[in-house]
Amino acid sequence: MRVRPYGYEATIIDQLGPYAAATLREEILDACEKNGLLYIDVIPAATSVVVTHEARVGNEIRRVVSGLSERVTSATRAMGMLVELPVRYDGADLTDVAETCSLSVERLIALHSNAEYEVSFCGFAPGFAYLVGLPRELHLPRRASPRTRVPAGSVAIAARYSAVYPRESPGGWHLLGTTTATLWDIAREQPALLQPGTRVRFVRAE
Amino acid sequence: MTTNSVSSDHRVAIRVERVGFTTLQDLGRPGWAHLGVPHSGAADRASHRLANRLAGNLPTAATFETSGGLVLRADRDVVVVLTGPDCEAFVDEISLARCRATRVSAGQHVRIERVHAGVRSYLAVSGGIDCPMLLGSRSLDALSAIVPQPLTDGVELSVGTPRDQPQSLDLPIWPTQSSRIRVSRGPHAELFAPELLEQLTHTTWTVSPASNRVGVRLAAATDGDAAFADSLTSSSLGELDSLPLVRGAVQLTPSGELVVMLADHPTTGGYPVIAVVHADDIDQSAQCEPGIEIDLSWTD
Repeated sequence: MRVRPYGYEATIIDQLGPYAAATLREEILDACEKNGLLYIDVIPAATSVVVTHEARVGNEIRRVVSGLSERVTSATRAMGMLVELPVRYDGADLTDVAETCSLSVERLIALHSNAEYEVSFCGFAPGFAYLVGLPRELHLPRRASPRTRVPAGSVAIAARYSAVYPRESPGGWHLLGTTTATLWDIAREQPALLQPGTRVRFVRAE
Repeated sequence: MTTNSVSSDHRVAIRVERVGFTTLQDLGRPGWAHLGVPHSGAADRASHRLANRLAGNLPTAATFETSGGLVLRADRDVVVVLTGPDCEAFVDEISLARCRATRVSAGQHVRIERVHAGVRSYLAVSGGIDCPMLLGSRSLDALSAIVPQPLTDGVELSVGTPRDQPQSLDLPIWPTQSSRIRVSRGPHAELFAPELLEQLTHTTWTVSPASNRVGVRLAAATDGDAAFADSLTSSSLGELDSLPLVRGAVQLTPSGELVVMLADHPTTGGYPVIAVVHADDIDQSAQCEPGIEIDLSWTD
């Protein structure tokens, strides 16, 4: 893990393991609170975390965050809340993905729904969570040409991630199925169903 | 009347007769980026803050951010303040001066026709536009389609209670006009050869018409510059993990354009972040008109 300035009003912590970003975010929030440091946002991504802040507190934030390195590099999977998402495996790419991965559709569904996932980070759109924990047999590059319209609730995979499209949008991921769960509702007290660190299971629904 | 009327007057104060290229903006939505929600807010924060300060508002009050075509009618007497670049603005047929608290009487019209030598003007109304908030902000976020108060022709808006007396400046403050933007090394700069990084600041970039509130797009200005942009994109970078983006982050796209992230930038992105615009030059980036030429200079 490395701690560096990211312009004048942000700090980046990178070279993290795949499960470390969400945990590090919690550690940074705690450490800033304890030290009375004002931050704006603490944003995890695949293998990095960025803290946005005023320029004048940058050095202090970098000093405090550097002191967290011991604990974070040893972090494994967080024990976040578990959310179960019902899925109908009726996605447009189900048979293509099975074929590309040399699996039967049944085996593909079993692999996807038996795994336990964790939200590594959110991005792309409000409430869009990148879930790690996808079985290696299902790691695929994105579709060569993205769709202009992917329906809300689409359960999809790409690279080492699974995800659910919170609302209709363009998208280049492979569609395996659909869920009726509401991933994003701006009127809810907690608008995002899935947050960094949340554990997720896909439960096959008929 | 609700109990809210204690702190603000809910009578209609302003009617939007023509929206033009206008959104409502405040200081955005801090605290939600980890859920994929863009920060949003005014693209040129200094001009937004100045308009509010002169109108006697808190910096968090919503202002009109407009690139022109805006027509408002006052339904009762209000005080407005215009900031930002030079623009054609009127109260009825009289020019509306910049950085001056200006009374608009009931029935009068405010028109902001065209913005010159810049992209965005800010119009504050003393008391601030009072409309619903989403996730703590009245800002329209174009990327995520978060629209707390749709602006359509004919919409009626109320204003809150001013905090302080409106005031005027004898000499208006203009946004910085410079073709030079200072940048520091971005998180991915280390992946590029030092001579390519050096060359970045000896290249002329043209602001693309595809620029918007998400980002200012810079394209190589000449064939020689384009050849350099090609050599940048062909640098072998390997597979990059998505990185959190910040306001001012400069991404290099596969087609060799640079994109300076503005208010509605996505929270994460997969293209290399080669540089970051100096905090004091980001507002200036938001006022770069399509077609003008830009030079970058390293601060580190």
